[in-house]
Amino acid sequence: MMAPVSSLPITAFKGRAFRLQLREGLAGRILLAVLLSILCAAALVALSGHNPVEAFGAMAVGAVGSPHQIGAALNRTTPYLLAGSGVALCFRAGIINIGAEGQIAVGGIGATAAALAFPLDAPFAVAASLLSAAAAGAVWAGFATAIHLGRRVHEVLTTLLLNFVALLLVQQVLAGPLGQFGAGFLQSPELPRAAWLWRMPSFGAHSGFLIAVVAAASLSFVLWRTRFGFALRVAGSSRPAAAYAGFSLPRLTWSVMLLAGALAGLAGGIEVLGVHRRLIEGFSLGFGFKAVTVALLGALEPLAIVPASLFVGLLEAGSLSMQRQVGVPSALVVVIEGLTMLFVLAATVRRA
Amino acid sequence: MTEFLAAAIRIATPLMFAALGGILSERAGVFAVGLEGMMLAGAFAAVVGTWWSGDAGAGVLLATVAGAAIGLMVATVAVRFRADNMVTGLTANILALGLTSYLLRVLAGGGQPVAIHLTPLAAWPIPGLADLPVLGPLLFVQPPLTYLVVLGCLMLALFLRHTQAGLTLRASGENPEAVFAAGGNPLRVRMLAVIACGAIAGLGGAVLSLQQVGTFTDGMTGGRGYLALASLIVGRWDPWAAAAACLVFGMAEAFELRLQSFGVPVSSYIVHMAPYLLALAVLAGLGRSSKLPAAIGQPLQSD
Repeated sequence: MMAPVSSLPITAFKGRAFRLQLREGLAGRILLAVLLSILCAAALVALSGHNPVEAFGAMAVGAVGSPHQIGAALNRTTPYLLAGSGVALCFRAGIINIGAEGQIAVGGIGATAAALAFPLDAPFAVAASLLSAAAAGAVWAGFATAIHLGRRVHEVLTTLLLNFVALLLVQQVLAGPLGQFGAGFLQSPELPRAAWLWRMPSFGAHSGFLIAVVAAASLSFVLWRTRFGFALRVAGSSRPAAAYAGFSLPRLTWSVMLLAGALAGLAGGIEVLGVHRRLIEGFSLGFGFKAVTVALLGALEPLAIVPASLFVGLLEAGSLSMQRQVGVPSALVVVIEGLTMLFVLAATVRRA
Repeated sequence: MTEFLAAAIRIATPLMFAALGGILSERAGVFAVGLEGMMLAGAFAAVVGTWWSGDAGAGVLLATVAGAAIGLMVATVAVRFRADNMVTGLTANILALGLTSYLLRVLAGGGQPVAIHLTPLAAWPIPGLADLPVLGPLLFVQPPLTYLVVLGCLMLALFLRHTQAGLTLRASGENPEAVFAAGGNPLRVRMLAVIACGAIAGLGGAVLSLQQVGTFTDGMTGGRGYLALASLIVGRWDPWAAAAACLVFGMAEAFELRLQSFGVPVSSYIVHMAPYLLALAVLAGLGRSSKLPAAIGQPLQSD
């Protein structure tokens, strides 16, 4: 039934559409959203004729049952933490950057190209490769920003469309200059040992996880304790207010986009140097898109993104054991991720 | 040459359905990033529905229902709860990917995906026209859903331009306050448009799985929803122009396949980048003067 006209005054939100409702009770709402999605997932498991408790138990054991499994879960967490923190900063400023996927992909290219082109000694090889990865990610975010600001195209469209170009670019360089001839599928040669990330003995967790945690802590400091962070938050809550306070919106957009691009690029570089030790077609698949989930799950607060990304990392790391031992398809994890994000979106957006 | 054009039409058909749905959603003011998930749900439901019932018609119907269900989800979160359109669309894509892979395995009762092999829908030659030289085999000996997409284009173009409902829909995307002032409810218009978008994009998925491949595989849409999004931008939110853009992208892909078979070194990756770069170029060229619906992505609140 339609309400009578006079009782339905309607407001269109002009300008920036995105704002998470950041106020007390947010953590509770997010936990509720996670709980709801897990309940839905349990129902799906029951539907498939399995015992949900048994399935989630197998998943937990698969994620933290042995040092090696813990290490694998931490490695899985790393790209989400890095890219998610960058996305969170952009969202804080009201800039919807969904280009992490592409920025991770070109970050992988950057790291691989540097490691193969400059055979340096151990600490320098890693540093040069990671720097190159971050630079590549920043450049890719820079393209999106240039078109967004220069031609006034919505940033979500520029970042989204460039993702697909970046994913194809990975395939292109693997079919060409960076590829291993005769490998049968698209991959680069194994990188020189000097460029590999250090791995913790018996756990197998690479040093990238530590880099990501340090990065998240620094970003939280930047967000809450610096002028730049303040400007981001002001711009996110009101663009006119930010302009009135003398913050340059284009400069702010450039800085936060390049920062997020560098973080995502770094995530791609770490994935290549720490996990695969070579560039592989599709190595980034989904990390960048799910980084948006993680950023929202962490309430756009870099420190809270640590547990949020751990949640996703542990789920994904434990899912294969669940499939092997209980027979519940591991794709259930993707369902949980999607549902969580949907519920978080519905539960936390603004009520003006 | 005929073969080449036939391949182009085949590649373009699923894109056209998704682009038509996307136009409906975007003209009503909601970004259609969820097309990929809607197509994937449709592709899955078409195959499973046909497999269960033994009737392709039921499969196609189920595809529209599944696509509409994803549409309902997007509409609820993005329109009712006023979440960001594009993040919601992205979420729907992730969810559809997870759900279809999960259910495909559950149907088999184990960890392995169930193997369904169906005969792809056969062509329906149109009596008389099918016997025309060259054009006959090319245009009038097509599977049923290909005819439907042409009809869909025509109907959408007429609907948007010449009906009261079409006008209300466009106004919801351009100036929702005006719709409200005229006694309409732009929120409801947007909800319905996104649900309809899902149903139509679901048909695109059915084309892919039921009409072209005969089975469903994980993530089988492989980015076609995003490609459709690029097409409707290149086609500036006009049904015929968007369909033409789909056809051009189909031709580019078919051309590349042919060149490769002749041993001409052409990078398929570069060819596949073209649609996205073209969409960016169109957006950049249009700038703010674009035909992008003025109020697209703006959440509405009624209190």
